[in-house]
Amino acid sequence: MTNRAVTTEHTLAPTRPSVVRVGRPRSRPVLLGWVGVVALVVLLSLGVAVGSVAIAPLDTLAIIVERLLGVDLGLAWSPATETIVWELRVPRVLTSMVVGTALAVAGATFQGLLRNPLADPYVLGTASGAALGAAIAVLLPIRFVVLGFSLLHALAFVGALASIYTVYRLSRIGGLAPLTSLLLVGYAVGSLLAAGLAMAMYLSGAALRQIFSYLLGGFDTASWSQLAGTFPLVAVGTGLILLRARSLNGLLLGEEAATHLGLDVRRERAILLALASLVTAAAVAVSGLIGFVGLVVPHVVRLVVGPSARLVLPLSALAGAALLAFADIVARAAGEIPVGIVTALIGAPFFIVLLRRARTGYEL
Amino acid sequence: MFRRPHALTESGPNSPGQRLALFLVAAIMVVAACAGGSGASPSPSTIASVAPAASVEATPLPTAAPSAAAFPVTLTDDEGTTVEIEAEPEVIVSLTPATTETLFALGVGDRVVGKGQDFFLYPPEAVDIPDVATFDAVDIEQVVSLEPDLVFAGGNFFTPPDAITRMRELGLPVVVLYAASVEAVFADIELIGQASGRSAEATAIVERMRTEFDAVEAAVAGLATPRLFYELDATGAIYGPADDSFLAEMIELAGGDPITTGSADKFDISVERLIEEDPELILLADAPFGVTPEQVAARPGWNVMTAVQEGEIRPIDDQTVTRPGPRLFLGLRLLAETIHPGVALPAAAPIPPVR
Amino acid sequence: MIELEDVAVTYRSQRVLSGIDLAIEAGERVALIGPNGAGKSTLLRAVTGLVAPSEGSVRIAGAPLRTIDRASLARRLAVVPQQVVVPFSIRVEELVGLGRLPHEDPLRGARPADRAAVHDAIERVGIGHLLGRDVRELSLGERQLTLVALAVAQAATVLILDEPTVHLDLRHQIATMELLVDLNERDGTTVVAVLHDLGLAGAFFPRLVLMDAGRIVADGTPAEVLTDSRIRAVFGVDPAMVRLPVATA
Repeated sequence: MTNRAVTTEHTLAPTRPSVVRVGRPRSRPVLLGWVGVVALVVLLSLGVAVGSVAIAPLDTLAIIVERLLGVDLGLAWSPATETIVWELRVPRVLTSMVVGTALAVAGATFQGLLRNPLADPYVLGTASGAALGAAIAVLLPIRFVVLGFSLLHALAFVGALASIYTVYRLSRIGGLAPLTSLLLVGYAVGSLLAAGLAMAMYLSGAALRQIFSYLLGGFDTASWSQLAGTFPLVAVGTGLILLRARSLNGLLLGEEAATHLGLDVRRERAILLALASLVTAAAVAVSGLIGFVGLVVPHVVRLVVGPSARLVLPLSALAGAALLAFADIVARAAGEIPVGIVTALIGAPFFIVLLRRARTGYEL
Repeated sequence: MFRRPHALTESGPNSPGQRLALFLVAAIMVVAACAGGSGASPSPSTIASVAPAASVEATPLPTAAPSAAAFPVTLTDDEGTTVEIEAEPEVIVSLTPATTETLFALGVGDRVVGKGQDFFLYPPEAVDIPDVATFDAVDIEQVVSLEPDLVFAGGNFFTPPDAITRMRELGLPVVVLYAASVEAVFADIELIGQASGRSAEATAIVERMRTEFDAVEAAVAGLATPRLFYELDATGAIYGPADDSFLAEMIELAGGDPITTGSADKFDISVERLIEEDPELILLADAPFGVTPEQVAARPGWNVMTAVQEGEIRPIDDQTVTRPGPRLFLGLRLLAETIHPGVALPAAAPIPPVR
Repeated sequence: MIELEDVAVTYRSQRVLSGIDLAIEAGERVALIGPNGAGKSTLLRAVTGLVAPSEGSVRIAGAPLRTIDRASLARRLAVVPQQVVVPFSIRVEELVGLGRLPHEDPLRGARPADRAAVHDAIERVGIGHLLGRDVRELSLGERQLTLVALAVAQAATVLILDEPTVHLDLRHQIATMELLVDLNERDGTTVVAVLHDLGLAGAFFPRLVLMDAGRIVADGTPAEVLTDSRIRAVFGVDPAMVRLPVATA
């Protein structure tokens, strides 16, 4: 029988020469990374320069220089100007970036984890949970503010985490495949919470405005103290997810194959779910529900650099931050329209164009 | 990761992704440093400190009763928040139309530098004041840039609560006003007077309003009180006054028997309930938006109502009825005259002066 | 290399494997054959640690399977997945690169040695012409070879395949078989495959393990295992209907 063991090359590629298609240059992700960083700096400057009150760019610069470096450039400005630049605009732009990072990284994680291109940070009921939490907070006659966080932020955060925990626990009951079960239970729990939200909105009377404005999302009340609460959660969560890029890569092949590649799939799934949920919850608690970023940014990044989580996660973090910062600047320039509308208006056409013209060798 | 055969020989210390991750961590630390630095410094005081320290000489009081309100004044707003006002406010932002109107009535309209958006501006002088809030959001940046020493906001979610929180964090004194009853409107006018150094004027206005309210009450006393449905809106569901609402109270004071929604905080009412309550009179507050008695009569099911059968459907322009400000008595008079056409009301006192 | 001693597997109170005694030496090439439901795949799952035996023991290179952590096991056993659906667009070399996961530094990712291993695996399997192609555009046969390359890149001493030729046309069936023979004979890789096609099994594998109803009923050379009476008893078909290259060889 060994005489039948012809060399494989002959059988497989009898006529075709071994043409190696030139792949992407390996420097492309690095280049993109730098583009992302530069974009963030530009957007930060733009975001601080633009607003409903006109402030001379030089004053803006001087205020930031003095605040950051303690250097007095010898310019005079009013306390109001300083407040606008340093207490309103800077934290606002940074918050939009942190939330953009959180949503994009969480989106990439959920897509990889659930092996579903349609997954986004809200797929497992986080959005409904956070929204219901926020609605309950609005309806409760308790008002407190600690470090810029009110009951609304607290309950939105708790609601998001509680909903995903419920989904995770329920999904482990019954005989369905873990992923199918997660998605179906996520859908069911999400629907239940949405019904609760609808009920809360129906009962809310005048408070409906506040619930509605939470649902639309935005950064108009961003502050340093909120950023100081959100940023560590997002930074730690994102960092830990980045360290688990390997697991997400293994899961590209499916859970069984990932097991064969040496991953403890159950454990990795639980850890990544927890991290992505934490990051999502931290984001939605301060910003409300902002759609589209978490769904589209990871796809756009994948179209350019391929599916490896080692590239997709960090580049999504940068791209998400840039997109949301840009969207918020547009939202402000357009007279404080909800930023979720802008993300969809910018993101959807861009995404469609990219899909149609994808010459990068990747498709969805 | 692998790209093409010759790339395999390339040696690099890190994968590109890894280098990016490191950069991100570094960027994150820089941002963290900024956030921490700000949290430590008590920056919100920047605004409060610019409040005029001593402005007694800058407050001429042309009216007979000098307020001579002693600033700083500490007051409790309608949400129970204690607000301290250091000196007589010279620069005021008023985020609700009723407050803007009240400030003009108190003679400090010229100090209002920013106002909330409104469809029915009053007085006409207020037109030139820039809008710093829409019906949905406050432009906090604009408010801050005006450097106000006093901000009036609306309670019960009229001004978004997180915007109120944010303005207070930034050191702005914010007084939140929400009147759920006629008495509360009077109290709010007094509160606005107290906060703006016009207590005596506020008391005078309230007294004048009370006189007018008493006069209307006396005029409608003894008249039949028709069961009345006051239609706020019917584009989607039918909206009318909630139980114990400000509007219901006004209708009662004007000699009507208000049909309410049966809930303290819901403003929609089912047609079934409306038919059961059988209004004898329907007032169309949505008439200015084009709703006509004919349209109402043609609505399915409405023809069984007494008011429809007898043609007792009357339009009303309810700007003054629903605005909790100094012109409220005009609203009451209008209501009384609409409910009881030809009712003999004493001549109205002149509208509080506007300066 | 792989030793199973009196292994039984119970699934939902139903015994799907019982009394399995099987020893596979390093460098062997073994095909598991038998009708549907005989327990072939379960046996592979017991060997790769996806199911825990309810009785008996599984040892890999002398060590009890349950004492070996997943990553070390992955460096010993490479499993070729049956068919893989990747949710995103992925290039051939990127897919093959996933085989390096058990070797990669968890933090730093692929290093030059890993890239070299991927390159070698691609050369070894002879799919250099597929470089840069999206795996999802490939034919089933090309995809199968890419998956084998992934397992080769894993650089394990044992290669385990579950019905690698299913869905493949004749040319690719033969090509896959030849590749397995080549990997076994030239590199000394131990190959364990579940096969449905008795003809292919008999032609390319020197040792066949015939299973039926959760038990091993025969173990030996094709000539020893594929007797007319066994084919009739186990598969319930007339042996004349089965073209067995070995029987005629």
